[in-house]
Amino acid sequence: MVRRIRAGLPGYVLVAPAVVVTVVFFLVPMAVSGYWSLTDYNGIKPPVFVGLDNYAALLGDPRFLRTVQNTVFFVVMGMAIGPLLGLGSAILLNESVHLRAFFRTAFFLPTMVALVAVATVWKMLYQDQGLINDLLGLFGLPGHAWLNDPTTALPAVVVTSIWQGFGFETVVFLAALQAIPRETYDAAKVDGAGAWAQFRHVTLPGLRATILFIYIIGIIGSFQAFDQIFVMTQGRPGLSTRTVVYELVDEFQRLDIGSASAIAYMLLIVLAVLSFVQLRFFGERD
Amino acid sequence: MIRRMRPIAVLVATTILLAGCSGSASPAPSSAASAGPSVAASAVPSVEGSAAPAESADPSASLDTTPVTLTVWDYYGMEVTPFTEAAIAAFQQEYPWITVDRQDLDWDTFLDKFNVAVSSGQGPDVATLDMTWIPTLASNDVLLDLKALSGGMLNGTPITDQYAPGPVEAMTYGDAYVTMMNDFDAYALYYRSDLFEQKGIPVPTTWDELRSAAKKLAEDSNGDGKLDKYLYAVRPNTFHFSQVLFQNGGELLNPEGTKATFNSDAGVGALDYQVGLIQDGSGLYWSDADGDLPPALVDGRVAMFSDGPYYMGLLRSGVPDQSGKWKIATAPYSKQPGSYLGGTGLSIPASAAHQEAAWLFVQYFLRPEQQVLVYTVTGAAPATTAALESPELTQPDPYFGGQAPFKVFLDTMATATHFPYVAAWSEVDTIISENLDAALLGKTDSRAALDEAAVASDAALAK
Amino acid sequence: MRASVPRRIGLYATLIVAALVMIVPFYWTLSTSFKLPGDVFSGNLIPNPFTLENYQDVFRRLPFATYFLNSVIVSASIVGLNVVFGTAAAYAFAKLRFPGRDLLFFVFLLTLMVPFQVNLIPLYRIMVELHKAIPAIGVDTYFGLIAPGAIQVFGIFLMRQFLRSIPDEILESARMDGASEWRILRSIVFPLAAPGMATLAIFTFIGAWNDFLWPLIVTNSDEMRTLPVGLALLARRNTVVWGQTMAGTVVAVAPMVVIFLVLQRRFIEGLTAGSVKGGG
Repeated sequence: MVRRIRAGLPGYVLVAPAVVVTVVFFLVPMAVSGYWSLTDYNGIKPPVFVGLDNYAALLGDPRFLRTVQNTVFFVVMGMAIGPLLGLGSAILLNESVHLRAFFRTAFFLPTMVALVAVATVWKMLYQDQGLINDLLGLFGLPGHAWLNDPTTALPAVVVTSIWQGFGFETVVFLAALQAIPRETYDAAKVDGAGAWAQFRHVTLPGLRATILFIYIIGIIGSFQAFDQIFVMTQGRPGLSTRTVVYELVDEFQRLDIGSASAIAYMLLIVLAVLSFVQLRFFGERD
Repeated sequence: MIRRMRPIAVLVATTILLAGCSGSASPAPSSAASAGPSVAASAVPSVEGSAAPAESADPSASLDTTPVTLTVWDYYGMEVTPFTEAAIAAFQQEYPWITVDRQDLDWDTFLDKFNVAVSSGQGPDVATLDMTWIPTLASNDVLLDLKALSGGMLNGTPITDQYAPGPVEAMTYGDAYVTMMNDFDAYALYYRSDLFEQKGIPVPTTWDELRSAAKKLAEDSNGDGKLDKYLYAVRPNTFHFSQVLFQNGGELLNPEGTKATFNSDAGVGALDYQVGLIQDGSGLYWSDADGDLPPALVDGRVAMFSDGPYYMGLLRSGVPDQSGKWKIATAPYSKQPGSYLGGTGLSIPASAAHQEAAWLFVQYFLRPEQQVLVYTVTGAAPATTAALESPELTQPDPYFGGQAPFKVFLDTMATATHFPYVAAWSEVDTIISENLDAALLGKTDSRAALDEAAVASDAALAK
Repeated sequence: MRASVPRRIGLYATLIVAALVMIVPFYWTLSTSFKLPGDVFSGNLIPNPFTLENYQDVFRRLPFATYFLNSVIVSASIVGLNVVFGTAAAYAFAKLRFPGRDLLFFVFLLTLMVPFQVNLIPLYRIMVELHKAIPAIGVDTYFGLIAPGAIQVFGIFLMRQFLRSIPDEILESARMDGASEWRILRSIVFPLAAPGMATLAIFTFIGAWNDFLWPLIVTNSDEMRTLPVGLALLARRNTVVWGQTMAGTVVAVAPMVVIFLVLQRRFIEGLTAGSVKGGG
């Protein structure tokens, strides 16, 4: 064992700076929050230990469960559509077309803008007299109160999120696509594979590691959706767009720090399990 | 439930204290924390209304004059803050040992930053707080008791003499004053007087009259059978619901603050009234997601709505072309006049380092001539009575057809009630707002919506 | 260009429609930034009248140069630190063996799974204590702004995927030639990973440049504020001033658009060479 540690020394040295930063600025605060999740704490008076009461209260609260439902919808819808759009755009952008630079920039542009700004603009676009209803009117389609209808509000916010976020997936997929050797495609064609077969047997396997990365990061990110909700709907109408992190921030503002921390830890557990499963079953053996 | 301090008694006590304190040594330098009435009594003896240093005693004689830097967190907005550079300079001249560090903060994120800072002992000395935050902050002992700090006196006169009873109530938590109201918010009826005249609609004073006025006002501009112009904006939030609730004789919570009472018959009737406006077609569901009203006022979708004094400024800047076409009236009511009372208060966190200096600052900016800036610079309604009666605020306003609108708001403030100061109020507020949506959007009836809100609220209150 | 004409037309049509969808909201932002308040909701596609007032407000009302400079300093520092130390750590996770490696990596990943809001108070208190101990660091300092983001797990994860594609043989043969891990890192890994590091640089820069919450909390004085926090001050209580808010957005995004346009070829091609293919 000691020999393995000695042999591993370079590795330890190289990760040391990262370890220091991560421990001091993330793991320590996380540990403190973990403790607070087991307490009743308003940030000012000393925390009072209450065990798992916060967790039990949250899991028994229909309003909280509704936020979980909304969040799951957000994640499923986002992760079903986003990577598809990302992959699709990457394939398009991989072709040699004129003004490729312009198109690539156009696709990546939304990702460069802060989500809060994007949400602010889209909120205006969704208004009754906003651009989206205007455009629909041009095609003779009826407008709609997108953000004021409990049925359409959450999908509308998800659309905004996808719009802003899939540029990231596009860029990552584009790189991965360009990394698949031409020879592999040529070999497949020689074997008589058509476009779809090539996609299934050359492209997808070549993208496997990328897809895993995209899904792990994407799921972790969309489970924590907050900014767009805060700007666009504040969780309304009714409870239809209230997400888990929105509830967390609300509790934090009410100085219910114990419960807010409990929400964070439940999120951590869910995401840890999901990530572990993904890494285990879809990652490649080392 | 109005508790009045007995002014005479306080005045007598103060006189005795002042007499006894002349020339005595100042309180311990870093005392602030447990400063008793003696500090207040010897502090700022300037007579109310005077901007010059006190005529009576030299203010610095019995004050701690070690140089301090006072941190003030201000969400009013850089250019419209009543804490103007000139005013602060004048304050620093009057109290030369105090340097003011005023920091602009954004209202949306103010509470986040405030909570983090205060809970880490790094809070400001003075903070502008939205009155809707008071329940949470006061019930968590975040705010300093200003009654103890001041002895009930503001600039030499009892606090209760300078504010109407409503604001005094709103500043009170238990036995303490947790904030000094700087500006107030209470709702009156804004209406397109030109259209009312044109269509021969009388200004409504009751709910039924408002409903019929709305019907006469609204038009179907594109012939599709739906009214879409000159509508009344119905807002689905607790502020507006509580207005109609109070007008209908209802209450939000029971007196102990342990149970929801807004789902009483009065509450259901109030919500039915709002739903009715929407069902008539002459009411427009206007959510917070829809943003501010001016865009809808510009194109005429909305021609009538209820809101507070600050909307006067929004109209002036956002709908300049309609100057002279608007008027403000007392909100129509069913049983009694009523409104939610909100606004901004100036508070001193309990953990503030320089409490005495902070109180000097707060008092200075509550003097009438500073309070007037709340209107002239900020476009909001000052909360102190003296400012509300000053000439700048009682002038006729050309935008509102020569009306002097503050009179209406002054009357409204007299019958306005603040939200209950219970720890769980913020959560209850959210719950009520959420459930209003269901009724106003026609998904469920008013009683069901309010009952559901009541159940969730009771659970929150029980925690 | 072997594809048939209809296919090319279809391709261009799709790209154009998609690009429009991506750009139209920006057009709205851009045009609103040149509009007067009364014109913002008029439905005019082109500002009428066209005004530079909003930009003048942004530059004059705010100590814009200070905010901009702070953002540049903080973002550049964060990018530099992440590219160097993040890549180094990623290399260790990807190619070196040491006891506890995979567990440590998973623990690192855990830090991504907690919403940052929940770390705010403890992290802030750490900064307060640091500041009390050493005034040059902690709250309201560049250190406070930079340190938590100095080496990000997201970047380590990204680079780890990249680096796994470097053939082990190259590294083995270098080791057999007697090179130390430092040498390998410097002369083999960094050059090979350079394109990936460019990717990391851009993503990290975007994140750091747009970061709002932590800079809001950790700065108190105007001198230390970054651009997003400063721009938020254009807001007023109770109302949004659309023209100025949009002007602020344009100003905040402009540097990145310019950089991306200039570098996009390198950036995309960079992603090509140091691919994320192969390895889990």
